[in-house]
Amino acid sequence: MGKSESEIKNLTVYHGNEEKTIGNFFDVSGKGEDLNDLKISIEGNLLKVKRIGEKMTNGEILINGNVGMHVGNRMTGGKILVNGNADDWAGAMLNGGELEITRNAGHYVGAAYRGFWKGMQNGIIKVHGKIGDEALTWVNGSKPAKRFPTLKCGSAGSFLGIHGHGGTIIVEGDCNRCIGADQVRGTIVVKGKVSKILPSYKKIGEVNEIELMSGEKIKGKFFEYSGDHSVEKNHSKIDKKTGEISNSSNGRLFIAV
Amino acid sequence: MAEILGSILDNTASVCHGPSLIAIQEVGSPTSTLGEYKNRADLVVFWGSNPVHAHPRHLGRYSEFVRGYFRKDGRNDRFIIVVDPRNTHTAQIADLYIQVNPSEDYELINAMRAILRGVELDAEEISGVSMENIIELVNKLKSCNFGVIFFGMGLTQSLSHHRNVDTAICLVRELNDYTKFSLTAMRGHYNVAGANQVFTWQTGYPYSIDFSKGYPRFNPGEFSSVDILLRNEIDALLIVASDPASNFPAAAVKNMFKHPFISIEPHHTPTSVNADVVLPPAIAGIECEGTAYRMDSVPLRLRKVKDAPGECLTDKDILERLIEVVKKKKGD
Repeated sequence: MGKSESEIKNLTVYHGNEEKTIGNFFDVSGKGEDLNDLKISIEGNLLKVKRIGEKMTNGEILINGNVGMHVGNRMTGGKILVNGNADDWAGAMLNGGELEITRNAGHYVGAAYRGFWKGMQNGIIKVHGKIGDEALTWVNGSKPAKRFPTLKCGSAGSFLGIHGHGGTIIVEGDCNRCIGADQVRGTIVVKGKVSKILPSYKKIGEVNEIELMSGEKIKGKFFEYSGDHSVEKNHSKIDKKTGEISNSSNGRLFIAV
Repeated sequence: MAEILGSILDNTASVCHGPSLIAIQEVGSPTSTLGEYKNRADLVVFWGSNPVHAHPRHLGRYSEFVRGYFRKDGRNDRFIIVVDPRNTHTAQIADLYIQVNPSEDYELINAMRAILRGVELDAEEISGVSMENIIELVNKLKSCNFGVIFFGMGLTQSLSHHRNVDTAICLVRELNDYTKFSLTAMRGHYNVAGANQVFTWQTGYPYSIDFSKGYPRFNPGEFSSVDILLRNEIDALLIVASDPASNFPAAAVKNMFKHPFISIEPHHTPTSVNADVVLPPAIAGIECEGTAYRMDSVPLRLRKVKDAPGECLTDKDILERLIEVVKKKKGD
């Protein structure tokens, strides 16, 4: 914030176990502005540059080229646009803001880091291409708290949304095996095919419209499944006031007919 | 040493039971020592492990033929279940053998957990196992007095890696609603459990630790040795008492040979033969004393049997002397 060009050039970056400065690797132009209007544009092949936009709170980052691991991890606000591919852990434990990747992303998109029981809690991740395995593990959304962690992607690998607690995942294409494993609650919509559905998911019927947790609606013919019935649900399945079976106490999986 | 140099520290767990450790960090681990199993277990499951070949003394000392305090009749007092894609020699001496399709263990355990919860499943067979067999298996697990699952590479290094262990741990946790059940990893690689223990009490993490920022960071996949070799992110290696050249993927080994590497190793192995510098130490437990951890993380004292040949130092002495030289070179 408010830094001059030479001050930005002297900011520390780590190259292996050595401390270097940004000026060693990048040409810098422009100066720091107020956080709300701040827009950083990065060009080049950044496949080995990690943790761009870590814990970002506001502003905008535009990356033209491929980007390395942990892009936008734990960010709470602002926007990151990657015009290219991203490596693993893109948007890990996101807590707000928006991350968009125009091509493919690696494994663990929006996932919880090892040993954490709360992964992505808010915000949105959009990947136009395909993503790897174990995206959005331990996702944790809440309707009363108005937190709707959302992932939209072209196609996905296996174990999508494992251990989910209220995430929303929309896949435009196909998915690999074991999606929604151990999901306590949450919504997964697959507009393509799934290679194998877990045995603990139970088919309910066919629907023409899906209402997402945020109230948004998706039209189209889908098979509805409920699950994952192998996991213990802490929440009451029946609403105490109305006696209705609550959607939020079971995971929902929709797969295109 | 890793802390002084700001390097990456890893151990053999990253190619064997590392996935178990990741799963344990996520969902915990209901475990016990081998003595408990010997004296109490009346149901033993070997899932994806073949102790007849891989842990030959395990069956005789702890899990199958041995007479325990409450299991006086040895083998006759225990019910042995083997779950494996191959009809191994362990499967041939089991009371119940379940043949599961390769890399489909996750679906099978998932179905078992659902059945345990009283859910009726629509499928006729799951992962190549018929529904009657799965129900029989679940009933057997529920009705024992003290059960144990020993799992091996079949779970940790097949397609779903740590997720297999994750769901197996959840299964054991839920079985404890009905009876006493625990699980133990069939650790291989001599004293790898010890390496995990020591790493954990020194840095907080069991393996795949990065010191490049001066403090330990942990992320398997980013800092694990196979992955950094595949991405060719290192410029030198120090290998202590292990043989990556014959265990790592060929592409990783190729990258390893591009850089100078030191091997502290008493034997002729593909690694030590190709190393730039070999420092032969005394063998712990034979030529010097030391401590090794058993697979259930019980430390055992190893005694010295004979003198080391020539001027061989112990691993500890070699590393301590190296640290002194490194400190001098770094100027502190």
